[in-house]
Amino acid sequence: MARRMKWEIVHVPGEPERSLEVDTVDVFASNIEPKLANNIVRQLNQVVPLENLRHVKRVRRRTAEGKVELSVILCLSGEYEKDAEALPRGIHQLISAYNLCPYRAKVAKHAAISKEEWEEQCKLWPTSYHPSTNLDGIATLSEGELQLIFNYMDSAIQLTKMSYAGGKVQNAAVIVDPLRGQVIASAHDQTSYPCPLTFKTSARGGCVDECGVTIASQSDSNEFGNNQDNSVKKFALQKCNEYSGVSCLNPWGWTTQRASHQNSSGKSDNKFSWHPLRHAAIVAIENAAARDRELFPGLGSSESQSEPIDILPNPSDNCPSKRQKIQVFEELNMEKEFLHNSEPNELMRPYLCTGFDIYLVWEPCTLCAMALVHQRIRRIFFALPNPNAGALGSVYRLQGEKSLNHHYSVFRISIPEQNLHEIELNASNNSSNKAESKEEI
Amino acid sequence: MAFETGHDSASKMRFMELALEQARFALENLEVPVGCVIVEDGKVISSGSNRTSETRNATRHAEMEAIDTLLEEWQMIGLDQLEVAEIFSRCDLYVTCEPCIMCTTALSILGIREVFYGCANDKFGGCGSVLSLHDSNSEKLPRGALRGKGFKCTGGLLSEEAVALFRSFYEQGNPNAPKPHRPVRIAQEAE
Repeated sequence: MARRMKWEIVHVPGEPERSLEVDTVDVFASNIEPKLANNIVRQLNQVVPLENLRHVKRVRRRTAEGKVELSVILCLSGEYEKDAEALPRGIHQLISAYNLCPYRAKVAKHAAISKEEWEEQCKLWPTSYHPSTNLDGIATLSEGELQLIFNYMDSAIQLTKMSYAGGKVQNAAVIVDPLRGQVIASAHDQTSYPCPLTFKTSARGGCVDECGVTIASQSDSNEFGNNQDNSVKKFALQKCNEYSGVSCLNPWGWTTQRASHQNSSGKSDNKFSWHPLRHAAIVAIENAAARDRELFPGLGSSESQSEPIDILPNPSDNCPSKRQKIQVFEELNMEKEFLHNSEPNELMRPYLCTGFDIYLVWEPCTLCAMALVHQRIRRIFFALPNPNAGALGSVYRLQGEKSLNHHYSVFRISIPEQNLHEIELNASNNSSNKAESKEEI
Repeated sequence: MAFETGHDSASKMRFMELALEQARFALENLEVPVGCVIVEDGKVISSGSNRTSETRNATRHAEMEAIDTLLEEWQMIGLDQLEVAEIFSRCDLYVTCEPCIMCTTALSILGIREVFYGCANDKFGGCGSVLSLHDSNSEKLPRGALRGKGFKCTGGLLSEEAVALFRSFYEQGNPNAPKPHRPVRIAQEAE
């Protein structure tokens, strides 16, 4: 398989792929001599144009036993079912002129709305596929927007680099305001805190089995399988041990990550040195909420419905609750700049994360995906599927749960192989660090 | 729901009353009125109420509040992951409304023993209403999916009281909802 060199984006719909059983209509077709194809097709298009089957290709080209075989659709067969004599005169003339042997064939009745459906249709008879007629919103993204989207995903990938726990790759999340082109919050998994001594447990049991499962299901999965590069599978296979640090891939694995330094300096500004629920998306939401409270203090609190609209936030005002103190802004400078450049007011204040996008390296689990529903995220972009516990198509499909009061759009971004390697490289770099620290012990 | 008799049933009602108290506290603070308590060995060890408005973080459900209090406490006294998991496996949660999909996942991740809730949560419920994430056997999962830890789950405990609180909340209106907001359907009562 060709190496993936480009960034690509795929919509992950709320419905499982439309049943791959293709709705068909019957046609008469015939094999033809390749050198006569031009003539025959020109005449056919005049006599019986396929007006309602514009997505169907008139000619099918197949290679059988090294020989090229061309077939052409003569006409719809439906109305002539009982009486082949009733075929249009032009067809009769063609049949006798070129010694054609009509046979019945089935072609897709409707234009495909997904690549997968199109591939299925083509097994019957080739059709054309225009992603621009997709309902998924990708078509409306401009080149510039796509580039921004890919850049944000890249920054999420970079964030996985900077955050390891016990030599393991973690998931990372970046929340973005696409209208202002602004990073609102970012975070990585905080289920276990970086501690060089925790790696011992990772080699034990569980993970290997789980990763075996992971690989198997990746190759089986219809959902993402079609877009899944071999390189991704290989990557997964090689790096499964490091993957066990990705919270959403292994939500129940926290009990095996026993930290030996509970009260060491490893404890950061955070009041939790580890926390089974602090997946990247959850922490990012928390950071976004903290930013909101910081930028628009008082405006959202219970007693403040009549606050004047144009308030300059004053951090010393409105004494932060103890929960706010734990917040460390990763974009503190950006925040300050923002405050200086534009005075936040009620009009600018978003309701939760309405209108914002989130970039995640791995597909989120149900904990995170539902949190993102609650927080009203507009779009989710993720790079790698999560066959263990993914909630956006792999195992569950929250974007398609009709009862929920909010629905985001979901996109999967296929990342170039070299970026995959970046994650891989980091993991192995870190493994070697790990090894060094082991020697020191 | 079959009514149990005797001490056991009475103590369940008592715990749910305490959860309702938490929910009332939320309502007074103009929060969505959901409350919960976590019980270990017949004793309430933590409680929580919804704080989504105050924090502007829509994930700060009552369950999350109660869970975080415990995790903070237990880490303070130096418990490690295995010890914490062991305690959770002996804890029950009483919550006035069926846990949402997020909270159900959280409770499964922590490995809680049993959940009792008041009214069902038709829109978001993860314990049977929308998904059944509490039941590690029921879902037809695709091959390769991990099966989470399940827990026993019983609804309908003092559900009228829980629904009444929702009703008062939506009558007073959610001051933080975007305008104009659609009329909100009140969660159906569990049987």
